[in-house]
Amino acid sequence: MRYMVGRGVKRKLSDCEDQMLDLPYPQQRQLVLNLCLDKLQSCQRRAEPSLHRSVLLANTLRQIQQEMRQEGGPPAPATPHHSPDLPPVPSDRPSTPVAALSSSLLCEDDVQSTCTELPKGPGSEDGGKSQDLLFGSFEITNSTSYLTDLQLDDIFEDIDTSMYDPSDFSVLACPPPRGSSGASLGNDYNLKAFSTSSSTLQMCLNDLDHIMEILVRS
Amino acid sequence: MGAGGGSNDVQWCFSQVKGAIDDDVAEADIISTVEFNHSGELLATGDKGGRVVIFQQEMENKSQPQCRSEYNVYSTFQSHEPEFDYLKSLEIEEKINKIRWLPQKNAAQFLLSTNDKTIKLWKISERDKRPEGYNLKEEDGRYIDPNTVTALRVPVFRPMDLMVEASPRRVFANAHTYHINSISINSDHETYLSADDLRINLWHQEITDRSFNIVDIKPANMEELTEVITAAEFHPHQCNTFVYSSSKGTIRLCDMRASALCDTHSKLFEEPEDPSNRSFFSEIISSISDVKFSHNGRYMMTRDYLSVKIWDLNMESRPVETYQVHEYLRNKLCSLYENDCIFDKFECCWNGNDSVVMTGSYNNFFRMFDRGQRRDVTLEASREGSKPQQVLKPRKVCADGKRKKDEISVDSLDFNKKILHTAWHPQDNVIAVATTNNLYIFQDKVN
Repeated sequence: MRYMVGRGVKRKLSDCEDQMLDLPYPQQRQLVLNLCLDKLQSCQRRAEPSLHRSVLLANTLRQIQQEMRQEGGPPAPATPHHSPDLPPVPSDRPSTPVAALSSSLLCEDDVQSTCTELPKGPGSEDGGKSQDLLFGSFEITNSTSYLTDLQLDDIFEDIDTSMYDPSDFSVLACPPPRGSSGASLGNDYNLKAFSTSSSTLQMCLNDLDHIMEILVRS
Repeated sequence: MGAGGGSNDVQWCFSQVKGAIDDDVAEADIISTVEFNHSGELLATGDKGGRVVIFQQEMENKSQPQCRSEYNVYSTFQSHEPEFDYLKSLEIEEKINKIRWLPQKNAAQFLLSTNDKTIKLWKISERDKRPEGYNLKEEDGRYIDPNTVTALRVPVFRPMDLMVEASPRRVFANAHTYHINSISINSDHETYLSADDLRINLWHQEITDRSFNIVDIKPANMEELTEVITAAEFHPHQCNTFVYSSSKGTIRLCDMRASALCDTHSKLFEEPEDPSNRSFFSEIISSISDVKFSHNGRYMMTRDYLSVKIWDLNMESRPVETYQVHEYLRNKLCSLYENDCIFDKFECCWNGNDSVVMTGSYNNFFRMFDRGQRRDVTLEASREGSKPQQVLKPRKVCADGKRKKDEISVDSLDFNKKILHTAWHPQDNVIAVATTNNLYIFQDKVN
């Protein structure tokens, strides 16, 4: 199913709707999913990604993926494994690839902020937030314990690439890594993991391996 | 005639249009915000190039009801420049996201303007006199040798051509990690708030090196982020109360007396979703793009992609009024998602006595909803309708195939021509409507 991404050109509105109306629901959903992934990619390529738009796209993507999963995709857990002592993660927790995608899209550096917090009243949270302000560099490093509990393969366990027909995706040029931000690199490779065939997926796994080593120091 | 009169009583006429005529729009000229000051005498616009243009209403003809005065350029200045964030290798856009006027305290006017990261307080003052007759300085500035001075005189003020100066008085920087979407001045005339995607800060107007964080919705784990702040505003009379809207279609009312960090709301306004309208895009179109209190402080209005909702502050469960802006787009959401129009952020505004609300749409159409008369009208801002005092003809969009004469079919709408920013004079029936790069001023027909 080919689609075009209009960029401010006056075009007939009816194209997409006509395509949509002819399709059965699963294909409609696939069309929207494809659009979503493409938009998330181009969001990243922009000089200034919009957090608002990224969140809306990620939510739409997550919603569709959950729906597809519930409908009898392979019964993969939506959540990564945790050590037995920890409470089970709620089932609406985003799957790791989406979460990693979202988190690196949304990663921001708080160090610059000169914002002061008023003295916290009783019952308010501990210094976790101020820690973010002082030390928050890459969001992903705040959850390193979560990562060390994972086997690398588990991250990709619930991606079933058979759900994504490679011919449905336009060949997306991989954007060069921006800056030296580890999160940015990770994001590009996670995106690749979504949308390429299994051979490049393997290549991405190796790169991800390398990034994981840096982040987790294992 | 005040700001009363519903949309069927009022006949709107073209008054003026500002901006370039040609269709080739320079990116820097795209208007990004429009705001009247508290008296309505001044009208400010901000654009993508970081400039602010202020228009002033000529007051001479105010006594003659037959002709309303025109707005002419009063001051133009560069508010924000593009910046480069070296740490993140990102450009910071100079686009002016919002302008808010301070209540006037003395002869000068003050406004706050903000881009994505930095808020600035500008002083706009008039100078119509200058000192002349210095002893040690010529009129052109050259210094006079003191040895040649034989007599002394006292310099006096002499009239000069009016000069309007804009000077930055305060720069409020480095308090926002994310993009600032709102600023709102408190009724205490001392503080104001600024909101970005995840946080809201409270400032004192005089203090630039410190602000207080009053709302923080950033999760400890960014992977869990599903909602962002889209707009925020102080209550017009209660200086402890403010609201903020979210990308999930909720509005939270917060009371700053309750706690220092207002993460817990006092009230949560949310309308349950209509299950028959559910689609892939339900969440996206529920995202609130603007929230505005009524002047009397009893209601607030929210704008989402397809509708305008009026909420009674005493009722959280659902809005008291809902107006469909362009319901004919509901069946076109996939196309609008594809061409990104679904992410357009429309603003909305009240008239002076809260009886009519206005918001923009596509094809340079804008809509007014008369709350009391339960009528609405669609008007167009275009050069074709721009003869002086020409009455605007109501427009109609045809949703189905049976297009009548003078109607426009949905498929003919130009989605590049969007009216995102509109403003209503605080007392009179004068409105400012911004198309992409032109500012239209319409007034009611005075007989």
